[in-house]
Amino acid sequence: MDIRINDLVKRIPGTGDFISIDKEKCTMCERCLIICVANLWKKKKDHVYIVDDYQSKCLECAACYQVCEPGAIDFQYPAGGTGVVFEKG
Amino acid sequence: MSIHNYDVVIVGAGPGGSTAAKEAAESGLKTIFFERGRKPGEKNSSGSGLGPRMWLDFDIMKELSPDVCPSMRAGTAARHYFVDSNDEVASYIMTRPTSSVNYEPAKSFITMNIYRSEFDPWLAKFATDAGAELKTSTLIVGLLKEDGKVVGVIDEKGEKYRGIVIGADGVISTVARESGLRSKWAQKQVTITIQYDFEVSPKKIDDIMGDETLAVWWSAVFPAAYQVFFNDGFHIGFGNWMSWWDKNPLHYLNRCIKLKYFQRLVRILDAKPREFQSHLLPWQGEPYDTHTDNVMLIGDAGGFPCPLEAEGMYPAMITGRAAAEVAAEAISEGDTSIEFLSRYDTAWKKTSVGEDFEAGSELYSIWKALPFSPRENMSWIVPLVSEVLGGIIDWSEPHPKRIRQVARTIKGYLPKIIPMLMKEILPLLTASLGEEKMDLVTNPEKLLAAMPEVELALAQAFMSADDEEE
Ligand SMILES: Cc1cc2nc3c(=O)[nH]c(=O)nc-3n(C[C@H](O)[C@H](O)[C@H](O)COP(=O)(O)OP(=O)(O)OC[C@H]3O[C@@H](n4cnc5c(N)ncnc54)[C@H](O)[C@@H]3O)c2cc1C
Ligand code: SF4
Ligand code: SF4
Repeated sequence: MDIRINDLVKRIPGTGDFISIDKEKCTMCERCLIICVANLWKKKKDHVYIVDDYQSKCLECAACYQVCEPGAIDFQYPAGGTGVVFEKG
Repeated sequence: MSIHNYDVVIVGAGPGGSTAAKEAAESGLKTIFFERGRKPGEKNSSGSGLGPRMWLDFDIMKELSPDVCPSMRAGTAARHYFVDSNDEVASYIMTRPTSSVNYEPAKSFITMNIYRSEFDPWLAKFATDAGAELKTSTLIVGLLKEDGKVVGVIDEKGEKYRGIVIGADGVISTVARESGLRSKWAQKQVTITIQYDFEVSPKKIDDIMGDETLAVWWSAVFPAAYQVFFNDGFHIGFGNWMSWWDKNPLHYLNRCIKLKYFQRLVRILDAKPREFQSHLLPWQGEPYDTHTDNVMLIGDAGGFPCPLEAEGMYPAMITGRAAAEVAAEAISEGDTSIEFLSRYDTAWKKTSVGEDFEAGSELYSIWKALPFSPRENMSWIVPLVSEVLGGIIDWSEPHPKRIRQVARTIKGYLPKIIPMLMKEILPLLTASLGEEKMDLVTNPEKLLAAMPEVELALAQAFMSADDEEE
């Protein structure tokens, strides 16, 4: 049974940007890459980044923000009434 | 922008926020509460079992029925599966509320299982019926401050609301962050908890599970997973502290889903994956920094889930009630200072939630050592439990020999069992029984003076087991 989690999440579009990374503060520890269940954090040779279309894949769990010890990840919830909707939460 | 004046402004319409709003409005306070979702519950993810203590403390719970909450299913009995290091279900047992449980509805169910998308709006309606104002689709982004002190909240459109602030905004709390109470959790104070929802026909659940509508998958290869059955589906999920993960949490949850045994259940239930959720959940030994000038934190925002199993909805409601009471006192006495609001700590500590935290760090430590340490500890506890359960019915040898084999195997685990008892169980017993009673129970001389035959019997069992070779 291979389940694609993104098929199992509903969203209201229009969130705007709500996650950002400050490359200066990032130590490349890769904790965000390990923790994000939507697999939205990636690493290039010299830096870590979040994928461009994260707004349509993010689960708003804030795990990346919480796990980032140096405080390189900024997270605010998306605009009220937009984003993830859990009907069976 | 104008400033809207209230007595109490509450951020969040989860179980904590709605309870606080209801009780504040009922005591005559002008109350508003805010929710970032289009309706309460649609941003939230829980197991979701409601504990029976809710029915003791909140009369409204008696009105919860399938009319308003169609997903309801009582978690009457629980299965405990034990998964070994080879991804095999090595044994399982079933339990019900035991004979020492002494009140209803706790005798009838362990949890009442509900979806948050139904429960949260139902609860919020009691608050609006009591006169509290609910603003949905509204994100609170900051706190209104005067002379460095918090006097209210600010929403994403810049609207300002003045009043005593109750932070009911869950694990990533803007109120905690902006009031300076907590910038972020320590990694060991918060878990990531993820779950799948599967759709199943109610009839299949009735026929196949009967009233066994909770399950824990205790495991040596992933953190213990819970399975919670609703009217027409189930959740399978788990969590662990942020510091634990060496691989993606989904890798471990999928390992549970892929167990042969689990897949067989999915087939016979004809279960279809329907939703996936990821959420953080605070899990710590002792709430602290719960209030400051004009601010109180309740529920997840204050770190109140139970230190053993992180039941969090009941604590959110209890602390919501305590905060509403203290808010009413503070307003009538015209003092919302941090000193005055320390009454909030006094109030929640007197409740059943406060009692859980009396042994908070011990309970936390046990959970950490057992279900949250699959490789270190469950890897021997699972075979140990299975040896005991499986050793009972076994026709491979003459029974006396089997008993000795089982006893010898158990003895082999003593070097693991004894440190575990000393490190985890004794501190908990001491915290609950007190030093004096503990001395009686744990002093081997006093104990054996009372029962010398115990020592003899134990010695004999293990000596004869030692003599016997394979
Ligand atoms: C996967 C999982 C399983 C769980 N299982 C159980 C269980 O079986 N039983 C149990 O009792 N507990 C369980 N818990 C814990 C329980 O879900 C929480 O403890 C409980 O929901 C806390 O209630 P609360 O009201 O404090 O916060 P929440 O329920 O988190 O409510 C906070 C509300 O505030 C809103 N909000 C947040 N920030 C803002 C903002 N800035 N502006 C406006 N609105 C905002 C959110 O949308 C949300 O509706 C589980 C938790 C998880 C994650
Ligand atoms: S967790 Fe923070 S510091 Fe570590 S790689 Fe990610 S962004 Fe960089
Ligand atoms: S909030 Fe959660 S899902 Fe979204 S990017 Fe961060 S870790 Fe991934």
